[in-house]
Amino acid sequence: MAAQIETRSLRVRPYAITGGRTRARYQLLVETMISVPRYDPEFSATLLPESHALYEHARRPVSLAELSALLNIPLGVIRVLVSDLAGDERIFVHPTGHSYRYDNTILERILDGLNKLSA
Amino acid sequence: MRKVLIVGAGQAGLQLALTLREHSYDVTVMSARTPEEIRNGRVTSTQCMFHTALQYERDYGLNLWEAETPKVEGLGLSIAAPDNSRALDWMGPLDRYAQSVDQRVKMAAWLELLEDKGGKVIYHGVTTSDVDSLTKHYDLVLIAAGKGELVQLFDRDPERSPYTSKQRALAVSYVHGAPRRPEHPDTYAVRFNVQPGVGELFVIPGYTFSGPCEIPFFEAIPGGPLDAFSDQPPAAEHWSRMLGLMREHFPWEYERFQHAEVTDGQATLAGGYTPVVRQPVGNLPSGGAVLGMADVVVANDPITGQGSNNASKCAAFYAQSIRERGDRPFDREWMRETFERYWEDARHVTDWTNAMLQPPPEHVMNLFGAAQTNETIRRRFVNGFDDPSDFKKWFLPPDLAEEYLASVS
Repeated sequence: MAAQIETRSLRVRPYAITGGRTRARYQLLVETMISVPRYDPEFSATLLPESHALYEHARRPVSLAELSALLNIPLGVIRVLVSDLAGDERIFVHPTGHSYRYDNTILERILDGLNKLSA
Repeated sequence: MRKVLIVGAGQAGLQLALTLREHSYDVTVMSARTPEEIRNGRVTSTQCMFHTALQYERDYGLNLWEAETPKVEGLGLSIAAPDNSRALDWMGPLDRYAQSVDQRVKMAAWLELLEDKGGKVIYHGVTTSDVDSLTKHYDLVLIAAGKGELVQLFDRDPERSPYTSKQRALAVSYVHGAPRRPEHPDTYAVRFNVQPGVGELFVIPGYTFSGPCEIPFFEAIPGGPLDAFSDQPPAAEHWSRMLGLMREHFPWEYERFQHAEVTDGQATLAGGYTPVVRQPVGNLPSGGAVLGMADVVVANDPITGQGSNNASKCAAFYAQSIRERGDRPFDREWMRETFERYWEDARHVTDWTNAMLQPPPEHVMNLFGAAQTNETIRRRFVNGFDDPSDFKKWFLPPDLAEEYLASVS
């Protein structure tokens, strides 16, 4: 490691070492959609109540805002539980951004979740 | 694979997370800020890390800036005389060098490194009720966020906390453009300047986004002339105010810094806090327990520059205890034992730091004075910054100081 560093150009910025990424692996924003790629009832049964409810609700695509409102779990906790399941590939995190920007149904549901959150 | 949740993404939290990942633990870190927000945010500390702490980073390949960061090979002391000349002015050599990397540089990259290594990172500010519902999902939850409401989970330990108010007001700037130090132009060294009754000015050679820099840092006695930053001025004004005060109280440092400029618009910091030691185990409403780390549980004044060193040591001690625990539960008893193991080391830092906040007693002035012409004393004092447990053997107790002085004179 030390030898490798000695030979590196001084102009290489530290973030180059970590691949130049400036974004998290999962973009867990309030509007981020998640879903269960392959539902596994046996796995579901092993989960603690909050994760179990989350996993069951995500059998169809659902946003973090909706989950937080539906399950009455703080958004910070939802993010941790989702991240945990996503890390084990039990949940798929849909790319955030423009992929559903014309899907009014989804946008309305997200808005509805956000309204419930702020209420 | 044991699941560990770490709340807080500073030196202690991220070093522990990256260490545990290396040993295949399932690690989740909660950070209030994204790497981009950290990079574009304000400086957080001065973080001069000495050899022991640097080595903990090297052991896990976390020393990503070692080559480009100035190697601090000594520590100098200047004490002002009444006429603002220097009554004392010396520098002692460190056996092994120290380094200071801007925590914005380090923590942003460490967060990305942690994700690359399979750690999970959640960007979300955390409340006590969040932690309350998360503890049952993890084998162990650690709180490493020294600022914010979570600290309230940990009760102050009055036996270990002699102070009940802030002992210094802090003002920091990261600057570049100053010439090398005239006292020893070929050696980077931390300089500890003392103006009796007014406060201290530390100067730490460091590394930030723009490259090598210097980090001048006031430790103002509250209510005194250096305590002048509570209005949180913008960076350029903050620095020009520091320069004006340097000219008046540390004229030898002003000479060197008069043409220096702040490294960026977020490169200044002002604040202060009460030194405190807290109980290490936080109890949550639903019955869970969390373990506090680093400055959550031991927050010393920065006057001895030990905050980041303690954070690194705490992470190393806790990683060791976690690994030794194997598959047994991380219960309250284990948490208390883990902290006491760290405290056995940290208490020396706390004792020494709390002593340094007081006007120097006669035996200390005698040692500092003799050090002017005695390199043995200089060397021992300076290397104590890497191993503060040494100070109780010769520096802090007046009788041992006299014995030591006689033995080296």
